[in-house]
Amino acid sequence: MSDAAFLSLEKLTLAYGDTVAVKDLDLSIRKGELVAFLGPSGCGKTTTMRSIAGLLTPASGAIRLDGADITRVSANKRSVGLVFQSYALFPHLTVFENVAFGLRLKKLPATEIESKVTAGLKSVGLSKFSARKPGELSGGQQQRVALARSMVMEPKVLLLDEPLSNLDARLRLEMRTELQRVQKETGVTMIFVTHDQGEALSLADRIVVMLNGAIEQIGTPEDIYNRPISRFVADFVGFENIFAVEGGKLAVGNGPIDLSGSLPPDTAGLAWRPRMVTLGSGPFQGTVRGASFSGSTREYLLDTPLGAIKAEEDAALAARETGSTIAFDLPVDKAARLKKFG
Amino acid sequence: MFQNRAEALALALPAAVFAAIVFLAPVVILLAEGFRNADSWSLSAYTTFFSDPLNRTVFLRTFRLGLMVTAVSAVIGYAAAFAIVNLTPRNKGQMIGLVVLPLMISSVARTYAWIVILGRTGIVNQALQLVGLSDEPIRFLFTETAVFIGLLQLFLPLMILSLISALENMPKDAIPAARVLGANWFQVFFKVILPLTKEGLVIGGTLVFTGSLTAYITPAILGGSKVLMLETLLYQRVTVANDFVAASVIAFILIVMSFAANLLLKRLATARNKR
Amino acid sequence: MTPRVFSPLVLFLVIGFLIGPFFIIVAASLSGGETLAFPPQGFSLKWVAKVFTVESFRESFAISMLLAIGGTAAALVLGVPASYALSRYKLPFGETIRTIVSLPIIVPGIIVGLALLRYIVVPFGFNITLTLFLAHTALVLPYAVRVVSASLNNLRSDIEEAAVLLGSSRAGAFFRVVMPNIRSGILAAFILGFVTSFNQVPVSLFLSGPGVRTLPIDMLSYMEITYDPSVAALSALLAFMSIGIVFLAERFLGFSRYV
Repeated sequence: MSDAAFLSLEKLTLAYGDTVAVKDLDLSIRKGELVAFLGPSGCGKTTTMRSIAGLLTPASGAIRLDGADITRVSANKRSVGLVFQSYALFPHLTVFENVAFGLRLKKLPATEIESKVTAGLKSVGLSKFSARKPGELSGGQQQRVALARSMVMEPKVLLLDEPLSNLDARLRLEMRTELQRVQKETGVTMIFVTHDQGEALSLADRIVVMLNGAIEQIGTPEDIYNRPISRFVADFVGFENIFAVEGGKLAVGNGPIDLSGSLPPDTAGLAWRPRMVTLGSGPFQGTVRGASFSGSTREYLLDTPLGAIKAEEDAALAARETGSTIAFDLPVDKAARLKKFG
Repeated sequence: MFQNRAEALALALPAAVFAAIVFLAPVVILLAEGFRNADSWSLSAYTTFFSDPLNRTVFLRTFRLGLMVTAVSAVIGYAAAFAIVNLTPRNKGQMIGLVVLPLMISSVARTYAWIVILGRTGIVNQALQLVGLSDEPIRFLFTETAVFIGLLQLFLPLMILSLISALENMPKDAIPAARVLGANWFQVFFKVILPLTKEGLVIGGTLVFTGSLTAYITPAILGGSKVLMLETLLYQRVTVANDFVAASVIAFILIVMSFAANLLLKRLATARNKR
Repeated sequence: MTPRVFSPLVLFLVIGFLIGPFFIIVAASLSGGETLAFPPQGFSLKWVAKVFTVESFRESFAISMLLAIGGTAAALVLGVPASYALSRYKLPFGETIRTIVSLPIIVPGIIVGLALLRYIVVPFGFNITLTLFLAHTALVLPYAVRVVSASLNNLRSDIEEAAVLLGSSRAGAFFRVVMPNIRSGILAAFILGFVTSFNQVPVSLFLSGPGVRTLPIDMLSYMEITYDPSVAALSALLAFMSIGIVFLAERFLGFSRYV
């Protein structure tokens, strides 16, 4: 664990009844970081987030926040904010009262509550709506109320569950900007959960990719996008041609295939994005099965001795005919080297 | 929508006329009888009825028991309904089945069981004597306590079922949201759960209250002539004293209460449909 | 979290309170002793057997069955057309008719029984069994209308129009197209009506005469005379009957959708 750890999860195991959702998870997050938990549904990302909020007591392990062990601290005493995927606004209270809810429980003086709520609503651009009920707002507005409601509590960590998934494309961009602004202005440590790699890549400082209740890879968006370390991560971020490597050779159905160039001994697999595949020259031969045009590029599906290969070429080049045989190469120096293949 | 009015009336009128003749007319005449005194309209039946201390006692007892059963069933109902909605779907279905089950059993049978439990040689007395808490059998039957327990058992399922549907209609995550914002469980209940399930509480409460108010079997079996309630009093007035005027007064009270409750429920239903 | 520890205990106690007495009745009815007691003194089926030999139980059971089956059937004969008119037609005074038809659920039964006794049975010398039959029919009517209406409202109304366009008469459209689709709703209404009528006490309280009594009333008066376990045995048998009917209905009809 680094010294700078502001929030750390140590050997965290989470279970619902007998079903283990997360096992022995270790993670440390620095103050002011914007971290994404990325993974398919059921990978344990939301469960982990709920346990940080105190909504789920860990079966074992510890959670530390700002130097204190909060593993057994109940949810109402944690100074952790959570913006729910459903927003979870209280329908019987006005927008103002929703934002004031936590402040009133803190028994702050009325004038202070008034000024904090007003400032909070102003910062998300909803001052005009303070007397409305949540049911009269659009989804995007409701989410901003939920964000303000959490932020006026000045939490040490702000958690967001799928903050962009319920929004349409335009609102999504708006909310993304909003979250970055809030983070920049307040310096709050933020963790958000998403199943969308695009969201994670565009918003986070650091991405934690999760699978089956464990961390698969932690890294910057560049690391994750360019240097996936496992077959799962490579697949998740869009590497379409993924092969196992055994004894320095590509392991494919028809037997091992020699590679040009040498590989570090811990290489378990190699992966190429379609645009990394060289078409027109190289040691392999393939038949064009299908092609699709997407404006700036053309994508081809090749039948090859290695199996199906997806390749991409600039659309300015002449289209290759379906049924024709072409040479291609999988350049080892461009490939992502996978340390885990399973 | 079909437009033919004659056809519509031909289909609907037999049922309406039947209900009007068999139900409405006799009941209206019975109620009117309570406002007649020797060929003129009068409230004398009501003043006479309420001047009898026994009648007043029964009247107040009926309301008191009704309110107590409603209040206690609300408290137990919340705890039970909250526990049930948090179960896995499969277990939830089974639990709801167990709550509905007693509603299908004859209330004579359900009430009768309490004689075995609360009687002089019943389970409760046996247990009390076994642990030495009492030497003599304690009288539970024919007390208000027995009637209270019987009514609670009879009507609790209605409260639990109303509250289950109210809790299930609460917005998802409202409770964890309140927790994360700093509310303890007490505050979660009074600031979030209660205001959001108010309607279900009123519906369940109305069903339980009118049910208790108009109960006959439970006070008859567990209260006897010692703990009369309005319906058992009505029965007694008619069979023992042939006093149809008192019966009409009691009938009027019961009907007014039932209608008021029904109106309230209808209001709530329309208010909910509008939203 | 606190509720996690608390909940199973609450459920155990509440379900115990609701269902427990039923098991006690079953146990008490299997007693070998002469009086009602729990724990039962020895095991015997003699009280269960006795139920079937008590003459008045047999007679009142027959009457209750007759009322429950006949009354419910009559309520459906009146209720199905009324529900159809209420859900498919622009019915004049629709709300008034709906209220009148659902009155029997609102007015406490004991009052109805008394009113029928005083203004129909006594002055006109009306037959008690027939009066009971009318009362039970009216009592079940609201349930019949409610359940059948729910079932009709779940059925698209354009299928009758389609049938008429294809050359069917209005009545023909109802019997050919509507009835087959609300059959399970009608069956559910029948079961609900049967159980309600069979277990009904207050309406029948004043409507009893020599040799004419419904079963629950007969049980109440038997209880006043003796505390032997035969009433417990009968209660248990009736409970099993109700549970069995409802269980089968739920199994094959999804009964709870209609109730």
